[in-house]
Amino acid sequence: MSVSPISDADLHAYADGQLDRARLAEVEAALARDPSLALQVDEIRRQNALLRQATEAWLEEPIPQRLIDAATAKAGGWQRVRPALPYAAAAAMLVVGMSIGWFARDAQLERTGTPTTFARQAALTHVLYATDVNRPVEVWAAEEKRLATWLTRRLGFAVHAPDLNSAGFALVGGRLVAGNEKPTALFMYEDGAKHRLTLQVRKQAEGTRETAFRYAVEDGVGVFYWIDDACGYALSGNFDRAQLLSIARLVYGQLAAAEVTAK
Amino acid sequence: MSDPGLPQPELIAAIPRLRRYARVLTGEATRADDLVQETLARAWEKRRLWTVGSDLRAWLFTIMHNVFVNQRASARREAQNVSLDDEDSAIDVPVRATQMVRVELQEMLREVAKLPPEQREVLLLAAVEELRYEEIATVLAIPVGTVMSRLSRARERMRRAAFGPAENVTPFKAVR
Repeated sequence: MSVSPISDADLHAYADGQLDRARLAEVEAALARDPSLALQVDEIRRQNALLRQATEAWLEEPIPQRLIDAATAKAGGWQRVRPALPYAAAAAMLVVGMSIGWFARDAQLERTGTPTTFARQAALTHVLYATDVNRPVEVWAAEEKRLATWLTRRLGFAVHAPDLNSAGFALVGGRLVAGNEKPTALFMYEDGAKHRLTLQVRKQAEGTRETAFRYAVEDGVGVFYWIDDACGYALSGNFDRAQLLSIARLVYGQLAAAEVTAK
Repeated sequence: MSDPGLPQPELIAAIPRLRRYARVLTGEATRADDLVQETLARAWEKRRLWTVGSDLRAWLFTIMHNVFVNQRASARREAQNVSLDDEDSAIDVPVRATQMVRVELQEMLREVAKLPPEQREVLLLAAVEELRYEEIATVLAIPVGTVMSRLSRARERMRRAAFGPAENVTPFKAVR
């Protein structure tokens, strides 16, 4: 067996998206040659995704007052909140207020056990990731094939990212998100002006009936959703209804075409 | 008025992530919030050490690491015989995931809790907080090489745990 020039550190850096450009091609070539290396990368990414998923909901818990006091140095004693800083204080309170409102509603939903509707869940998830500048997706479009393979494995049925270039949207990448009943695949797209669009796909619970396109606005985010062949689809973004609908039709058409080819 | 202060909205915005990190680090909600509170108090005390415009979050992680290490050290002094790394400190997965997924996630967190704290820190900062390796090295005040070896060990342990000892798992060769 020949000695591989790829180091352990290279693999971790690659899986974490931290490998410098110069080394990228070499590592990718090695991965293509050696499936055992690719397996290691997959495993690291699987762990990363699970860890994030396992801890994600903690981010949305309401912040205890004592921590807000500590952050605003109320309890610190080095100063009282100075009247010279009304703007900062107001801004802080606004952030807190908005966050608490947001978290509280989520907590309410969880407590009462009200099932979050598909559209609502899709909109919340869309907002969560589409606004993330640095890490909107888990796997970038550069690795589209691997993305599809991974999501297919995790969802238990074949998924791939539809091509929306004809509508002016390029694939950013995708990730796995926790759904209400089943894990959900999320694909993110972006237009020239960096406006983001997400398509979420998941298996519906047994006995869910097919539905035609439905439209909902959740927290200002437009969502087109439909259920087809036991799979639920939701297309979300801050676009007007007509624009979303035309993209939804495009997605639907491509999925239908893929289905026909597969049969 | 020469007191630089800290940007409060950013500080508050950082709390959820600090809590998440502390939660996995300590394995317990109340202790985690104590750690966050202490970190924030320390940040205000040391606010002059923060360079305006630099990454506030990384700086907060640095402080939290120091507080965490000190707390562990003093806890050890106080109770020589009590291990802090209680193997059974089951971390509850926040409700949200589905039943099936939850089991897997719960298992994951249990394994993380079993890691030595120094490996746990590196793994969390890299995998969950997505800090760059160089930033992690700065936060933990260790060389990047050490970050990589701890990360590698942590992930290997997690991998073995995930696949279980029953299956014949071929260990990944440490390629150099």
